Amino acid sequence: MDNNNNKAWTGKTRGGTFGYRFFIFLIDKLGIRFAYIFLAFVVIYFIPFAPKATSASWWYARNILRKNRIQSFGFLFKNYYRFGQTLIDKVAISSGNKEQYKFIFDNSYPRFLEILNEGKGAILVGAHVGNWEIGAPFFDKYGEKMHIAMLDAEYQKIKEMLEQYSQNRNYNVFPLDETDGLANIFQVKAILDRNEYICFQGDRFLGNTQTAKVDFLDKKARFPIGPFLLASRLQVPVIFYFSMRNKKMTYKFHFHIAQTVPKVSKSKPEILLLTQYTKELEKIVKKYPEQWFNYYRFWG
Amino acid sequence: MNKTELIQQINENLAEEFEVDIETISPDAPLMSTLDLDSLDLVDMVVLVEQNFKFTPKATDFKGIVTFQDFYDFIGNKMNGQ
Repeated sequence: MDNNNNKAWTGKTRGGTFGYRFFIFLIDKLGIRFAYIFLAFVVIYFIPFAPKATSASWWYARNILRKNRIQSFGFLFKNYYRFGQTLIDKVAISSGNKEQYKFIFDNSYPRFLEILNEGKGAILVGAHVGNWEIGAPFFDKYGEKMHIAMLDAEYQKIKEMLEQYSQNRNYNVFPLDETDGLANIFQVKAILDRNEYICFQGDRFLGNTQTAKVDFLDKKARFPIGPFLLASRLQVPVIFYFSMRNKKMTYKFHFHIAQTVPKVSKSKPEILLLTQYTKELEKIVKKYPEQWFNYYRFWG
Repeated sequence: MNKTELIQQINENLAEEFEVDIETISPDAPLMSTLDLDSLDLVDMVVLVEQNFKFTPKATDFKGIVTFQDFYDFIGNKMNGQ
């Protein structure tokens, strides 16, 4: 395991509340499909004017997806467009347009609900792929026990928007304190001790976070170790959860129940859990390559 | 359990959990560096305390613990209901 000091992700998400407000206006007055059309122009703007993100997406297309230059250019457009669509969908659904979408669940959904009902607490691990928040309306009665861990800098930026425009945010946000890892650990433990659920994004970390370097899509990449270490030590069920956009305004929810790892495993149990996670994430990224939304140099 | 027995039990628990030679543990030695712990590993410490001493420490409890002696005092005080 490493303490990664390289500059990776700064904890802040690009874009401001103006963009959200503008798209809410478009959706409200002209409809979701018009917002999609307008999005194409926004994407054309972003390709040259978001050079760091464009560079990361280009690198991903060339080195991970092994696309040639022409294909990679097309990929840039698709990647940004899909990202924009997921943001529009998020805004549209949270502002009351859920009925315009279709949602399907994979075969593990009943088992997922069984685990939530077992009363042992659970750790959900997602990633910056697809649109995990789209699943929030389906948290239903579980939502009040659901805590979404979010880096504080990221949370502060979208807090205002969430509070203003989300009609029924039926889950809790747990802002991670970047300066006090110990306090985070105890708060997470308290949530699990109450038999509630904590959701992490397993692919994102800040510079001072403990990480492990593992194979991911044939290259080494760093992942945060915290969620997996907590899960293995506290012996709570772990579910990998991804919500992916399909054609015709449809989202498919994927659940994978992680195999329990023994607490006294000779191989570090957190690494065994992390490996299970990266294998599932690989399957998802291979199936939906244009829904990879980590716009910084992820590998290396 | 008297104080000596409590210290013996704590040392055995720590040596087994964190895979260190029990001889390296002494009252004045620094707890975190001797056991090679970082803040994330403290979750193991919390579980150890819960399982062996039947109470749940708080985050703030760890802030004043520097040496093993501090840790013995902390556990001892909690066991005595202080």
